[in-house]
Amino acid sequence: MRLRNGPAYGFLAPYLLIFLAFWIWPIINSFVISLHNTRVNPWVFNPAFNWTRMIGDPAFFNALRNTLVILVIQVPVMLVLATLMAVLLNSPRLKARPLFRFAFFAPVVVGEVAYSAIFRLMFSFDFGIVNKLLTGVGLPRVDWFANPTAAMAVLIMAVTWRWAGYNAIIILAGLQSIPEDVYEAATLDRVSKVRQFFFITLPLLKPILIFCAVLSIIGTMQLFSEPFLITNRGGPGQATETLGLFLYRQGFGSGNFGYASTVAYAIAALAVAISLAQLWLGREPK
Amino acid sequence: MRIHLACATLALATAMATGSALAQSGEITIWSWNVAASALQSVVPGFNQQFPDIKVTVEDLGNQQVFDKTLAGCAAGGAGMPDIVTVENFEAEGFWNQFPDCFANLKELGYTPELQALFPDFKRTELEVGDVAYAMPWDSGPVAVFYRRDFYEKAGVDPATIQTWDDFIAAGKKIAEANPGVVMSQADFNGDSEWFRMIGNEQGCGYYSVDGQSITINQPACVATLEKIKEMKDAGTLTAAIWDEKIQSNTAGTVASQVYGGWFEGSIRDGSPDLAGKWGVYPMPSLTADGPHAANLGGSSLAITNNSANKEAAWEFVKYALTTNEGQVTMLREFGLVPSLISALEDPYVSQPQPYWGDQPIWSEILATLPNIQPSRGTAFLNDAESVYRAVQTRYFNGEYPDAQAALDDAANQIASATGMPIAE
Repeated sequence: MRLRNGPAYGFLAPYLLIFLAFWIWPIINSFVISLHNTRVNPWVFNPAFNWTRMIGDPAFFNALRNTLVILVIQVPVMLVLATLMAVLLNSPRLKARPLFRFAFFAPVVVGEVAYSAIFRLMFSFDFGIVNKLLTGVGLPRVDWFANPTAAMAVLIMAVTWRWAGYNAIIILAGLQSIPEDVYEAATLDRVSKVRQFFFITLPLLKPILIFCAVLSIIGTMQLFSEPFLITNRGGPGQATETLGLFLYRQGFGSGNFGYASTVAYAIAALAVAISLAQLWLGREPK
Repeated sequence: MRIHLACATLALATAMATGSALAQSGEITIWSWNVAASALQSVVPGFNQQFPDIKVTVEDLGNQQVFDKTLAGCAAGGAGMPDIVTVENFEAEGFWNQFPDCFANLKELGYTPELQALFPDFKRTELEVGDVAYAMPWDSGPVAVFYRRDFYEKAGVDPATIQTWDDFIAAGKKIAEANPGVVMSQADFNGDSEWFRMIGNEQGCGYYSVDGQSITINQPACVATLEKIKEMKDAGTLTAAIWDEKIQSNTAGTVASQVYGGWFEGSIRDGSPDLAGKWGVYPMPSLTADGPHAANLGGSSLAITNNSANKEAAWEFVKYALTTNEGQVTMLREFGLVPSLISALEDPYVSQPQPYWGDQPIWSEILATLPNIQPSRGTAFLNDAESVYRAVQTRYFNGEYPDAQAALDDAANQIASATGMPIAE
């Protein structure tokens, strides 16, 4: 038995070594660091130091709240939009379908830095096209990046713009896997198109939608580039600071690696909790 | 033939004069930002006359990026670091505290007490810990108001009458009326705290006490500063703009004044060459009619990394750029960097009228404030205070605190919990 498995482990060894060096070791090491007071040099072992700070740290809860706000608003809005786009793409009356499919998918292909820079320019107070359009129709200008609510709105718009098409393509694949004859039967029974959508399409799409939701929630938990680049490091005044950004700021802004490690563990715990909740929601009815 | 001979003689003479220099060779790389990087570049030709075999590469990465990359590089044990990094004085102590092994001790390279004495003491305190000198002072940032003469004139505003920030607000209203589409000034409410630090420093208040031992952000002078900034924001005197947007507004002619450290001179002159003669300078206003008019914002130093393969060459460059009048005055002339080197301040160039500035002798006017500047300390915990302050400022503007005192009391408490430092009585 052992002899038969030996070569298998031999073949796995290169991967396992890399896994050990770049995953397991950092995971253990960051846990150890999280138990140290890293505000002094050299670091001092003090297990409760960072954890007690985190529990009472308004900046941590601010980042947590921002992340949850994006999660609760952006993910549902995006999935509704993506479903609508997918249904429209799936319509037999649509001409030039490949073109539209590409157009919806294109935002994902654009680099994060490039699209962030464009969004920042579009929403610039003095020179941005969005404020020019607003004043053009007689509305007041909005100071997008100095107003906390407006900055959050820009962030949500940007992330939605980038990822809605990507989800639409996944949902479109789901739509095309629904057999035509189900709809034909429903049409013969004089079920309206709208009722067909709610009672046939949506239930059959459920696994796909849950898959998209899982992907989007994981993505939001890790959201970093957009608040870093578009709202200038979570500005104004941390109003769009996400957990990822908060962790980065503690580690690579304040040089406080112990606290940053603690925050990393808190994010991981949160991700596990949300994943368990999703598994529970998505379970097959008995 | 005769020319060749003359050349050879000259070369020989030069070689003899700089005998030790010939021993130096190699390549050094420097990280810096904006006009500071351009200024370092401008002293390279002079340096290469003495050290022809040292190849200097200046990388302009942007201010925040230099900080980020230096911190990440030091955390990685010095991997990927250049030979010389530019360190902002205010942020410097965090580096020495966290990564004392990341930087070379300049004293071991030849930073003698004689050389140290060339700089004012207050510029050196943040750069030296005990017996170790981690960096050498470079420039300082005496604050001034840079203004557009034409916009002020059109509104009939004489800058000499602007003595207080209230005068500044009143002038702003007139200027905005007379020049449609022009705002009085701009503040980076998104990602910086420059106005709070400038007016706070003018009024003798900062995040931390000057001895670096306690939190002073909720002292009365800081409270008055924050109140005045909100007043200016609500009056439309200040609109939000990040660094790049300020530069764009300068060039586009949509802003009438910018308040910054003296080094901003280079950014205006370099960024808007077409506007020569239209810009002028006047002293920063104060909170009260008889209040102080001097503050410092920014100011940097040069440090040599411990991982540098060519520390001696790096040291020669630092020494040339920062301890000689030739190096420092070149950087002042080309890019408006205000020297920390005491002897450079007496250079004849300082009192000359400046053509770009409508022949105003701006340097003698700006530098005259230097003796009145109160010291201010960033400490090793600058970043904690910065981020807390920015968040509190945003919430205060949004009306989430009853008043500025409550806002800054909250800020002081948050900084205390992040740093473990006591709040000053």
